Amino acid sequence: MRPVTHRTAGVVLLSLLLAGFLLLGALPNHVSSIRVGGLSLLWWYGGVLAPVIGVLVAIRWLADPLPTSRDE
Amino acid sequence: MTSVARILAVWLTPAALLAVPAAVATSAADGLWLGLTLLLVPLITLGLSARGRDAATAGGRGALFPVVILLLAVGVLLWANIALAGDVAVWLGRPRWQGIAITAALGWLLTAWRPLRKTAPLLLAIALIAAAVPLLQIGWASGLGPIAAWDRVATQSSFRFPPSSSWVTTGRELGLARGRAPLVFDEVHRLTAPAGGTVRARTLDGTRLADIEWTLSPGQVITLRAGDELSRRPSLRLRFEADKHVPGAPPSGVAWADDRPRRWLPRVGLLVTLLVGSAALLRAGLVVRLSRDGVGFVAGGLLIALLWAEAWAVYAMLNAPDVLLGGITIERLLELPAPTLFAEPWHRTLQGVLLVAALAAFLASTVALRERLGALDPTGGGEIGRDPGLWAGLFGGAALASLWPVDPWALTLLALGGAGCALGPATLAPPRRAVLGTTAGVFGLVVFAAGAALQLRGAGGGLLGAVAAYPALAGAPAGALLLWLGRTRR
Repeated sequence: MRPVTHRTAGVVLLSLLLAGFLLLGALPNHVSSIRVGGLSLLWWYGGVLAPVIGVLVAIRWLADPLPTSRDE
Repeated sequence: MTSVARILAVWLTPAALLAVPAAVATSAADGLWLGLTLLLVPLITLGLSARGRDAATAGGRGALFPVVILLLAVGVLLWANIALAGDVAVWLGRPRWQGIAITAALGWLLTAWRPLRKTAPLLLAIALIAAAVPLLQIGWASGLGPIAAWDRVATQSSFRFPPSSSWVTTGRELGLARGRAPLVFDEVHRLTAPAGGTVRARTLDGTRLADIEWTLSPGQVITLRAGDELSRRPSLRLRFEADKHVPGAPPSGVAWADDRPRRWLPRVGLLVTLLVGSAALLRAGLVVRLSRDGVGFVAGGLLIALLWAEAWAVYAMLNAPDVLLGGITIERLLELPAPTLFAEPWHRTLQGVLLVAALAAFLASTVALRERLGALDPTGGGEIGRDPGLWAGLFGGAALASLWPVDPWALTLLALGGAGCALGPATLAPPRRAVLGTTAGVFGLVVFAAGAALQLRGAGGGLLGAVAAYPALAGAPAGALLLWLGRTRR
């Protein structure tokens, strides 16, 4: 079995961001249409928050580890 | 830096990127989902790290199958983007072949002229700047930031023809509003035929439908009522009435903004298509290693592209709602430096800057796609990515095929889905034996082709409809299943 790496964590988080959009849209009573600060919740999530968080997740978890130095 | 630019340029071809604002303008929820998946899926693919040895063998470095599949995929992607150039030329009032010839010739020139082969980062930078300038200018001229513009669009009671629209002032040929479905009117609308011609409409008289044909003399006017349907005759030039609801546009800003994602299967179909497609395009046969800076550049580039596409769609709906006539197509997004905001010569100048952006993005994509293919050919030193004869044939074939109008986004999905079903499963979970990966790929591709054939026959809704719309929904799991069975029966 392959070990769970920091990359796996990043991939899971990115997948959850995608799933969040579908779930938000499926919430009852038009919750995704509630407007906050000029945008609906669906737009805040799908257009701003999820993309920005996705970029941060990628930078934090998806990079290849730096090569270890000889001293270590 | 080169590999970062290559990833961005391979993934964000103009046809793929411009599909986002077109989808957002058509349906807010669908467009947001498309944009989000286009951003996150390549990051997920890059994060799904196959062990280097496996990726280089089972994925097919040096093998014939992935080279053939990717060559076909690249050909279809070139076709999609060159066809888009033809659409743009027609929209600007030029012959279709001119847009096709210019883009295909420039793309091939980058192959043939050796000093120009490593220009993807420079071309991407030009595309970024040239796309940002008109957007900033439009935001400034509108006097609204993107969020305020969205709020304005989302509270509009109706999307109406601006008085300065070319559909109102001079009239345009109906053929430019692509699609076969008739234009349905939802209020009384006076149409003028500046050059005359024959108009066909299905009118609603009480409860009775009637097909009527008028032969109009130049300048003659007809009046259509709510519920009437106008047949599209490509060569017929018509002038629409200012301040009337645009046929085909959403009923109101509220209806557009509150559109929620309801159908799951098509969304999953798009996700699967992009996931396996990105695995094939970005990872098959390669070991991609990116530093933190590299990942940051890729993710940041994708984010900038997504935000640009969303803002472009919102400003288009605010300032040029006539782009929605009869359902939006990608090339009409060029209409956004709208006459309501910019008088001549600024209108044409900004359109020109936008064309420079699209051309630079296309050329960056051609360079990157060729480098990508060349990376699969280590024994030939990447010669396949530099062979002028081969690429002349590819560009020539794509140019010829582009003479007939096709939907560039549908072709992009076809390329991603086909290559993804053939190479995606083996790339994401490399088998120890290359032959197993090839067998699974062929099987996935056959299932994908069967699904695509279903599309031609026209399938209904439900699972069958989703498979017909996104054949990778069946092809990718089929290939993955065969891969899994092959492993367990060792």
